[in-house]
Amino acid sequence: MIASARAFTQRLRRVPLSVIVVSILLTIIIVLAVFAPLVAPADPNNQTLLARLKAPGFTYRGVTYWLGTDDLGRDLLSRTLYGAGVSLGVAVLSVIVSTLVGVSLGMLAGWFRGWTETIIMRLVDIMMSIPAILLAVLTVAVLGPGFLKLVLVLGLTRWPRYTRVAYAQTLQVSNLPFIKASELAGAGAVRILFHHVLPNIAGPILIVATAEFGLMILMESGLSFLGLGIQPPAASWGSIMSVGRQYLERAWWIVAVPGVCLFLLVFSVNVLGDWLRDQLDPRSRSR
Amino acid sequence: MLNYTVQRLIQAVIAIFGVLTIVFVVMHLSGDPTLLLVPQDASAEMIAELRRQLGFDRPIWVQYLDYLYGLAQLDFGMSVVQRVPAFDIVASRIPYTVQLAAGALVVAIGVGIPAGIIMATMRGSAIERFLAAVVVTGQSVPTFLSAILLIFIFGVTLRWLPTSGAGEFRAMIMPSIALGALSMSTFARMTRIAIIDELSKDYVRAGLARGLSLGETVFRHVLRNASIPVITIAALEIGNLLAGAVIIETVFAWPGIGQLAIQSIQARDFLVVQVIVLLISFVYVLTSVLADLVYVVVDPRIRLVR
Amino acid sequence: MKLKLATVAAVVLGLMASAAFAQTKETLTIDLPNDAATLDPHLQWNTDSYTVYRNIFDNLLTRDTSGKIVPQIATEWKYDGDKTIIFKIRDDVTFQDGSKLTAEDVAFSMNRIIDPALKSPQLSQFDQIEKAEVVDPTTVKVTTKSPYPALLAQLVKLSIVPKSYVEKVGDQDFNLKPMGSGPYKMVEWKKGIQTELEANDKYWRGNPPFKKVVFRAVPDVSTRIADLKTGKADLIREVPPDQASAIESDSNTKLLAGETERVGYLYINAEAGPTKDVRVRQAIAYAIDKQGLVDALLEGYGKPVNVVGAEPIFGYTDAVEGYPFDPEKAAQLIKEAGAEGATVEFLTSPSYPRALVEAIQQMVNEVGLNVTISSSDQATFLKRRQGDAENAGGMAFGAWSCACQDADGIIFPLFRSGSIWAKYKNEKYDALVDEARIILDEQKRKELYAQAYEILREDVPGLGLYQVYALYGVSKNLQWQPTANEAMFVMDMSWQQ
Repeated sequence: MIASARAFTQRLRRVPLSVIVVSILLTIIIVLAVFAPLVAPADPNNQTLLARLKAPGFTYRGVTYWLGTDDLGRDLLSRTLYGAGVSLGVAVLSVIVSTLVGVSLGMLAGWFRGWTETIIMRLVDIMMSIPAILLAVLTVAVLGPGFLKLVLVLGLTRWPRYTRVAYAQTLQVSNLPFIKASELAGAGAVRILFHHVLPNIAGPILIVATAEFGLMILMESGLSFLGLGIQPPAASWGSIMSVGRQYLERAWWIVAVPGVCLFLLVFSVNVLGDWLRDQLDPRSRSR
Repeated sequence: MLNYTVQRLIQAVIAIFGVLTIVFVVMHLSGDPTLLLVPQDASAEMIAELRRQLGFDRPIWVQYLDYLYGLAQLDFGMSVVQRVPAFDIVASRIPYTVQLAAGALVVAIGVGIPAGIIMATMRGSAIERFLAAVVVTGQSVPTFLSAILLIFIFGVTLRWLPTSGAGEFRAMIMPSIALGALSMSTFARMTRIAIIDELSKDYVRAGLARGLSLGETVFRHVLRNASIPVITIAALEIGNLLAGAVIIETVFAWPGIGQLAIQSIQARDFLVVQVIVLLISFVYVLTSVLADLVYVVVDPRIRLVR
Repeated sequence: MKLKLATVAAVVLGLMASAAFAQTKETLTIDLPNDAATLDPHLQWNTDSYTVYRNIFDNLLTRDTSGKIVPQIATEWKYDGDKTIIFKIRDDVTFQDGSKLTAEDVAFSMNRIIDPALKSPQLSQFDQIEKAEVVDPTTVKVTTKSPYPALLAQLVKLSIVPKSYVEKVGDQDFNLKPMGSGPYKMVEWKKGIQTELEANDKYWRGNPPFKKVVFRAVPDVSTRIADLKTGKADLIREVPPDQASAIESDSNTKLLAGETERVGYLYINAEAGPTKDVRVRQAIAYAIDKQGLVDALLEGYGKPVNVVGAEPIFGYTDAVEGYPFDPEKAAQLIKEAGAEGATVEFLTSPSYPRALVEAIQQMVNEVGLNVTISSSDQATFLKRRQGDAENAGGMAFGAWSCACQDADGIIFPLFRSGSIWAKYKNEKYDALVDEARIILDEQKRKELYAQAYEILREDVPGLGLYQVYALYGVSKNLQWQPTANEAMFVMDMSWQQ
């Protein structure tokens, strides 16, 4: 008992302080995002036109706006809390979509080779030579904005990155003796891919996914900033900032509050991702 | 080697062709520009008539073949909005995009590579930790946020730098920094990894054992060897910088290709979009082919398959 | 003696005035949201394009500051029957290349814009013109397809182009190197960036106020305001009302507000969805606090209106009573219609003020409907808004101006059945606006529009919200009077230290 506790603290001690801090930060952000309806002091969409653009701490009719109000007199604290869910939700779901699509295609290409490989990998080439932001703007023009559409747009523009990694890893793994053995033993392709290949390539995929997660948050906020994000009155951090940009001099808090949150979130994800990469990638462990 | 190059080039042509096709289809699914062109009081017949005159009433595959036919003769078509050859419109924006990309590259390399060198050679020091934080910060600030902060501080409040426009050197400073920040982080990381890789090699250990100083070793040998992966990254980053400028160019009113792309997509000015996409994917593909070839030339052990 | 003193005083005053003018400015810089799409005045008709090219060309007619149609290239005109109008043309006007402007050029300009081969997007504004003929070097005869009272208002928008030059260089080069008879000559057009104009010192109306004018494309409104404050621009267009105070409070800049003919209105679908019920439409009209919107979101830069039309237009009537803000009555009407909680789709695009749309959404939700906003880009928005009624959403915000100051240019395209915007059909209404379109008697037309507005009030296929004030941010030294049709003629501006 004592020994295991000591081992645990020792292992914890090896985790850098920065990683611990950002993990706590990340946890707080996620908890707040999930429990926004319970935590938020007000309805994020409730407007009070007579209390527009008020500074943090402003009180109107007994209601205190701790982080101020936006251009329609809505409580910025509540909007930021709800917005966290949207920003995180889009990022998480789009990473899941692109991982699912990308990894399946990558494994298929790496396992079956032949024309499957040719078609999939050429498609990857094509997708990789269209700038992601341009493709996203184009697809939004077709699909229209909205939460789920945003997930689709981001997920379906970013899958090739996973495919490349999954493909390369599958090629390597499929030559390992035990996989050759189970193939000879008559196991089906799906079974082998799921039971043997996937666990072996999960590490590198996780590295890509964490890096992409931070990028997805930035992409979502960028699209929202261009007015191509989710439908109003719902808001993500990017769309709140897009509104606030006009009021930089009059109401700096509209940009500052979600801006700081966005920065802390992406910063935490990046620090954690770097650390994770060092842990998972044997090549870089020595560094 | 020659065989490999030819094979790579054929793949590149297929990729670009695929890009053009996908973009063509997606653009046409999103409607056509007729409604945006007519004045508000146009009647339905007049709209139909203009649509017919502009050729958007034809089936999509006819329009596609028509487009390919023109392309085969290096005719990129006319912009329906500006009534000027689409290629000329894009070409007039290229110098600005190149300027901005170059400015951003200067920022990225000028800060990123020294930072990477310091981080690799002074591991565990306070300055390394500080630089590491700077690098992650550069990666974590959305470009539009840094752009509006820069405008607010240096443009409006201090009035040191012009807030928009192109044509003078001072106007380039803020957009270059905002755009270069992300690449700066990439360069710093890559340089750090490349140098650490080199430092663990035998010749460095031997040199150090012979009594050479770390600084000497780094500057004499390590940098040269570590520069190859970094050059490759630089090639790839150029493509990213061209495309990544979309938001920055809008905020700073920088008349480059990114801004033109957004405007043309919104105006459904199909042929202009096609030229832009063609150009960017060409640069993307070209730089990645070049990067591959550089690898092969430098290290013949790399397998010539992908 | 007395007379002499007066003369001296006049001379001194004159000297002072010219001294003030002596410190004049070389280059005027104007920030527009976008670059001109075309500089051929017969192609694109959008604000950013015509703001630039209308300084290069003269118009057949123009409007004075009070909005009255006055001569420019035409000196006088008279009707010859219902469908024919004869214009007398000035004979002292030359184009910038020195050639003389004659009736040939005027007739050519009209015939060019209605020629299908040009594929002019402006065709619909001039399609009532049958043909234009030269009678003699200073006389042009214009024939319309039917009696057309709005003809003069439309001709205010017609730029006169030089026939021989256009024919010599061809349409494509004319667009790139436009040449007209206006106060400014084009020097350089850096596409997507800026257009540089230079004064035409032989201009027939006198010397233009600035040696050079530069129109720059600055898409981001915050950047335009920053440019004005830092002195990089002298005049900016489209200042959001929210930003007005920032410009007023700065000692180097001032705000100019022009009461325009543009009207902010709410379209309500009368042919599909829950709003098909007239009670629901009336409820929406009662639910909206126009004064509240103007005070809070427009910061007072706007004026609530009673009809879909603003005072500067011909046919505006104050006899029709507007809907008062009455949420209880609205809720009751919704209940009567059995539409509580019914979903109404509110179409919009980034081109429309988002805050206003969201505020209207909340106001309508509060009386019992469930409004959802569908924001898409402008092309998609137009496709739905102008398409089938079933798919055209329940509501949409718009800000309409025909730049012709006539009710015909507003309520005809918006509500006449068969028009792309109309999701409404009332035969009585159609008959009224049809008749008003083809008679020339002004008094009779006014009466017809008053009746038409009364029907619109009853049926509410749309709701007038407010008269738009165009807001411009200008350097404190710039003197200029904005007009109701939102034209921007540099010739009307001046600089005073």
